Amino acid sequence: MIKSENKELKLVEKAAREFSKKILAPGREENDAFPFGPFFNDVLDKAFALDLFHIQLPEHLGGMGHGIRVFCTIMDQICQEDSSLGGIIFTNALAQSVMLASGSEALLKSIAEQSQAVPDFLVAFSSLANPNDISDLPTAQSLDGSYFLSGALNDLVLGGIAKQAVVPARISPGAPYSYFLVDLNGGDVIRSEPVMSHGLHACPAVDANFSSAKGILLGIPGKGDSYFKKGFETLQLVAAAMSAGVMKGSLQEAIAYCNKRVQGGRKLKDWSTMQMMLADMTIQTYVADMLIARACQAVENRENDWQIMVQAASLHIQAAATHLVSDGIQALGGVGYMKDFGQEKRFRDAGQIQALLGHAHLKKLRFIRQFLHIGKGAGEAAELKPVIEVNVKEGGKRLTEGLLQAATLQAK
Amino acid sequence: MIPRSECKAFLDREPKFDDIMISLRAIARQPKGINSEVKRIIAVARKFNDEVVRPGCLPLDRKMHEDPDHLAWDYVIEANKRGFYTMFIPKMFGGGGYSLAGIAYFLEELASACGAIANIVGVHYLGVTMLFSSWNFKVINRVCKDVVKGYKEGKPCILSLAMTEPDAGTDSQNIEFMDTGSLACHAQKVPGGYKINGNKIFISMGHMSTWHIIHAYTDLNRASENTVMLAVKTGTRGFTFGKKEKKMGQKACPASELIFKDCFVPDENVCIDKEDASRLRSPVKDTNARIFAFIWAASRTGVGAFGVGTARAAFEDALAYAAKTEIDGQLLVNHEWCQSLLADMYKNVLLSRLAYAEASYANGLHGMWMVMNLKPMYYMTRYTPAGILKFSISALSRFGFVTNFFRKICFDHQKDEAIDRIDGWGSLAKVVGTDAGITNARLALEIMGHAGVRQDCRAEKVLRDSKLLQIYEGTNQINRLNLFKRMVAKPIPQAEVFSQANL
Repeated sequence: MIKSENKELKLVEKAAREFSKKILAPGREENDAFPFGPFFNDVLDKAFALDLFHIQLPEHLGGMGHGIRVFCTIMDQICQEDSSLGGIIFTNALAQSVMLASGSEALLKSIAEQSQAVPDFLVAFSSLANPNDISDLPTAQSLDGSYFLSGALNDLVLGGIAKQAVVPARISPGAPYSYFLVDLNGGDVIRSEPVMSHGLHACPAVDANFSSAKGILLGIPGKGDSYFKKGFETLQLVAAAMSAGVMKGSLQEAIAYCNKRVQGGRKLKDWSTMQMMLADMTIQTYVADMLIARACQAVENRENDWQIMVQAASLHIQAAATHLVSDGIQALGGVGYMKDFGQEKRFRDAGQIQALLGHAHLKKLRFIRQFLHIGKGAGEAAELKPVIEVNVKEGGKRLTEGLLQAATLQAK
Repeated sequence: MIPRSECKAFLDREPKFDDIMISLRAIARQPKGINSEVKRIIAVARKFNDEVVRPGCLPLDRKMHEDPDHLAWDYVIEANKRGFYTMFIPKMFGGGGYSLAGIAYFLEELASACGAIANIVGVHYLGVTMLFSSWNFKVINRVCKDVVKGYKEGKPCILSLAMTEPDAGTDSQNIEFMDTGSLACHAQKVPGGYKINGNKIFISMGHMSTWHIIHAYTDLNRASENTVMLAVKTGTRGFTFGKKEKKMGQKACPASELIFKDCFVPDENVCIDKEDASRLRSPVKDTNARIFAFIWAASRTGVGAFGVGTARAAFEDALAYAAKTEIDGQLLVNHEWCQSLLADMYKNVLLSRLAYAEASYANGLHGMWMVMNLKPMYYMTRYTPAGILKFSISALSRFGFVTNFFRKICFDHQKDEAIDRIDGWGSLAKVVGTDAGITNARLALEIMGHAGVRQDCRAEKVLRDSKLLQIYEGTNQINRLNLFKRMVAKPIPQAEVFSQANL
């Protein structure tokens, strides 16, 4: 991430870098073999000991209470080497965010206090989807003041590892969905084998089937979407930081290879076609860094249009990452396609990260529809950004200032 | 309206009519029988896809994840049983006699179901193409006999093409880089043959092939003039297999290391060497360059077709998903934005198919299957009983003049502009088709959301499989430069390609 003068942030960045270089990088290929190889429990234990799953959790709930900038910095560093751990941290944080948004602090505190090991602390969540885009959510039936969930939920990330899950379900057909905390170790939840996924192999999902599984309602019935949006608002920037980390890892490996590989009697770096490719990759990586830095600033200062800046930055970076990682393989030629190098994993991981929080195109449509006053929640969005012209102008000015500031910091 | 001479002058002006209207020229010259052949082989491929590939490709991919050392013999045996490895071998060598003009369409069909299984079949014809590019009838006849025997006895005998070396990817594939590159596979002339030392890597289907058509070099510092093409049989002393690569996709098609340590290859298995090439009118380096052009023009057309197949697979997956998935209360396929994306994906398939079809026509006019595509040759081989053809070729192949005759036609009498055309269109088909594969696969993942990144929904496998296509047979970067050299730079004499001037 754009270098900061903030000493605390520098320390965090250094610690995260050392963790990813020393703990994550050496086992990357082996860990990626999951579910056909062992799960990297030892890495998770170390991450847990370092409080990597507590980054954004408030201090009074046993967390570290860090803000968005620290979170993004850590995820950026981790995902330069292995995004699977990033995916686990992200999913858990998303579940925590939804619980916090629903006012379920007591439940979170209880989970934190009772956790002896990583699985006790982790909360599974369907982080690859926006529940609005799932037509058949589980149903929740109320009985004697308790709720019982039935039905299937595919791609429940961490569902095979975590002790509990935050699950979206409808209390009645067609009703807005609500969130429930469900104990996954109860016999009334059937979980599939880990779903084989494109990327983030060591951040596995399962297909879950609930058969009258007891669930604790989080917050107010039917308010699931607003809780999801609350988490989505900031955590999409964390997902973008994951993409940016993948981009950096890919760029670094491409440059290192082009510096040593010789073809046609000259180093790859001396081919101007390769220079052009590396230039494109470098520009996109710097742009990603600058966008994240500026968006973090907007979040921290709670600027008027911070949500818009976060969405725009995230959509841009995640799309850019999927193109960059493809060039990252091209730069290495045949070996870039092989598992001995990190490029092929980054290629897959970038695609998986783009799928976090829902369909890429639907995220883009929802982004513009809030300006256009279209669709569900338009009223809410209209308050957020009432007039596009004014905001573009003001936002543009602020963005320019922010980029200049970021570039100055980078130059230093 | 316009005098004939003036008309010719206009058509010879850049862009030349002959360069850009390939199909218009080719269709009139191509035997009509090829049309019915292409229809038949597309149907054959679709039947194979329905019965074998679609039910098995995802479990096979999963199996390969689980056990990267697994070799997909079941699929090779099934393809062999259906005659896929002899289908495009000319009848005179005992094969099915289908024109190679149809192979790209066949490969697209297979790749539309599974890129890896398409490669299990297609790679064999890479080896066949390289073998045929030498026009050595003796060696061709002997190797093809083995392939046909393998078909009849149910023991697959397939060919691999081996060029890439550990330090020489692009270097081994472009005549321009061979002398300054890092080639290391050495061929030493010894009494009765050559002694080979060196390694080949990334050889598709290496571990499963019986014959390996390889390039080695008698002088590593001047490899472009000292190339030897050899046929090496599995089991030859001094030849062993090394590791199998752990690939991201196309997992069922192994990428193998071939190790040659004092491996003696007898003269009877030398396809073409410097001595053979010296007998031709053209300088040896030019002949070698033409051999490369023939091989790449054919193989890159095939890879373009693979790309179109994967682009189609991605499109079909996305369309099927959109047709059954509801978003915001209506089917995704009825969302206007999604219709636009699906139309784009469909467009990518159609346009890139046109590119490989043109390249295929170019090969029929001037490339590898030029001779077999001549109407008299085509109908003679089609209607003459196979037994007579085989007997004739066995008898004739003993005489060197048959080999020399075909070499003279293909190497000495082929115009430079025709070579530019086939090689340029080969590169274009490869770049366009494989880029379409990646573009569509990415779009499929984006349209399908969390379903797109699940292996059991196939789209993510299509993306993994597609990526390799942009790399092998020359990276798309190299192919763009080759396209520039062959098609764009011609009217600009000051343009230099693959030289120090480009630094």
